[in-house]
Amino acid sequence: MDGFNRFSPRSSRLRGGMIVLLLALAPTAFGAALTKEKMVDILKGIDLRIRSGGDYKALVYLEQHQKDKPDTAQEALCYRRDADQKLMILFTKPKTDAGKGYLRVDRNLWYYDPTVGKWERRTDRERIGGTDSNRQDFDQSDLANQYDPAFVAEEKLGNFKVWHLKLTVKPGIDVAYPLVEFWVDEATGNYLKRQDFALSGRLMRTSYDPKWDKLYSETKKGDLWFPHEIHIYDEIDKANSTLVIIQSVDLSPLPENMFTKAWLETKSR
Amino acid sequence: MKQLFLIAFRNLLSHGRRSLMLGGAIAGVTAMLVFLGCLSSGVKKTMLDAAKTVATGDLNVGGYYKITAGQSAPLVTDYKKIQAIVEKTLPDLDFVTARGRGWARLVSDQNSMQVGIAGVDMAHEPQLPKILKLKEGNLQDLAKPGSVLIFESQAKKLKVKTGDNMVFSVLTDRGVNNTVDVRVAGVAEDMGLLTSWNVFMPQESLNRLYQLNDSTTGAILIYLKDMKRIPQDMDLLRKALTGAGYTVLDRANKAFWMKMQEVNKEEWTGQKLDITTWDDEISYVTWTLQAIDGLSFLLTSVLLVIIAVGIMNSLWIAIRERTREIGTLRAIGMRRRLVMLMFVLEAFCLGVMGTAVGALLGSLVAIIFNAMNIPVPPGAQFFTMSSTLKFALVPGRIFGGAAVITVCCTVISLIPSFKAARMKPVTAISHVG
Repeated sequence: MDGFNRFSPRSSRLRGGMIVLLLALAPTAFGAALTKEKMVDILKGIDLRIRSGGDYKALVYLEQHQKDKPDTAQEALCYRRDADQKLMILFTKPKTDAGKGYLRVDRNLWYYDPTVGKWERRTDRERIGGTDSNRQDFDQSDLANQYDPAFVAEEKLGNFKVWHLKLTVKPGIDVAYPLVEFWVDEATGNYLKRQDFALSGRLMRTSYDPKWDKLYSETKKGDLWFPHEIHIYDEIDKANSTLVIIQSVDLSPLPENMFTKAWLETKSR
Repeated sequence: MKQLFLIAFRNLLSHGRRSLMLGGAIAGVTAMLVFLGCLSSGVKKTMLDAAKTVATGDLNVGGYYKITAGQSAPLVTDYKKIQAIVEKTLPDLDFVTARGRGWARLVSDQNSMQVGIAGVDMAHEPQLPKILKLKEGNLQDLAKPGSVLIFESQAKKLKVKTGDNMVFSVLTDRGVNNTVDVRVAGVAEDMGLLTSWNVFMPQESLNRLYQLNDSTTGAILIYLKDMKRIPQDMDLLRKALTGAGYTVLDRANKAFWMKMQEVNKEEWTGQKLDITTWDDEISYVTWTLQAIDGLSFLLTSVLLVIIAVGIMNSLWIAIRERTREIGTLRAIGMRRRLVMLMFVLEAFCLGVMGTAVGALLGSLVAIIFNAMNIPVPPGAQFFTMSSTLKFALVPGRIFGGAAVITVCCTVISLIPSFKAARMKPVTAISHVG
């Protein structure tokens, strides 16, 4: 009889009513869904916080863990001039990699290897130094222009209250990951977790940016935020991971002519 | 002449120990030359078989498509039109097939590796079922979308078997990450080093992975009835394609992927075609053949010098021992030319017998080693192109090697023989010693 009662029309109506009530109360209980405008503002906020507006120099430490391979560590200097969208990465350690570098000129990413003394044009989505990191991890961000956001949920990430957003690339724009999910800290507006998906919808990598630092930028007349640590986990090859540590950030003006092949070659000698 | 041969032969027999030692040395060098020659031929045969299975036809019409000046992809767009020109132009065509080209990360639950992908349409691959030897699975399953055919060594590394699932992960030509799930349709026997990093998947799945349409492929592989016609057919094809309005790149003896850096530097966009031969496509491994041949030449040269010294020494001794005999022969009217010929024939006979035994011995050892399937350490596989030692007996090469050594032995004997022929009969007869 109990079993019969559970599926009686009366109990079914009651349960349906409760679901409707719960759904109605959900935004109050778990936080309201963000409007599209609000989400775009959040993305613009992220872009703005990361953009220095002027020159930027940082010491970057890259640590790569791969299955059945010895761990590798590299140190590089990252130079940016956000006003001209210029970027240069010059490896300084270990000795075998010292002098190698990447330079972005317009839309082309160039790679220089001093051992052969040649420049090679590489794809913009090149794995920097053979790690799971790519150019986007070191460059300024343009999320608001590249992606359409959708609200997933308001969640807890450890002790942090976060907005979980799903970003889909806008038509006609080429990006390395057409689908990205962000967990944005409600308190600071910094993203703490990011998941990148392939065109097929498969999860490719998860990265955590737990520590953010800020510096006052004279050019920007405001704070520049940067993730102090980025932990990148390869979700296809599960045993692979990369740790990126960004330190010694300097916003002083860089020499005028440094974003050239000649400058990088001089430093590589 | 017959008499001279008889004298030379008898003289060799009368100094049995000396002849045996010298003949043995010649046989040893010949055996080594034949053995290394068989190895070189075996490596070449393995290389050619593997290359023509996984990477190339006798001729290929490939090409590059550039979306922007700085980014090229090894693609041929609207390939059916080009295939029609190929079929119309070449008189001795065996068959033509279009194959996709890709380079991706293949990931299993246990491991991952970078692999070259050949995108195949099984309906147009008459050769594959004949050449590929499957250890497990069914080759016809490769016709099903989302399947992959891998080789033994890859299955071992990835720790997978038929029916297991894996993922291909690539950065497409537009720079977007994409993946395709695949199921192992079968595991084929290794065919040398080239098959250690190449896999097959259906063209349709490769196109899905790279987000390409059906009218695009990687290259048109052309198999000819007679490989000797490659240069002529290449010229015919170049003229036909240029005449049809296609831009064809100048020939460079490099594999298609080795040219991509240069193509990327060139300031053009759109489609350019590239006609290559099978040896262009595997030019990055043919240096191993040159290395083996170079080593054979070096070793043989050193040993030949030693043998030459031995032969000269031996003949000097023979001449010294037979000085009175030379004097008598000269006194009864034998001409200088015939005296010289007598000694030269002695060296020639020794050379023929030594090289014959050596060639037989070298061939025999090569046959035995071939049957034994001797495993090659991974480090040395780069040279042997195979996980086991493979030898091929090419009669022309064996006879050629033996002939070269025989000629060397004969030529080197000319010096002492000439000296013997120049002796004055009176001095020679009265020689004491």
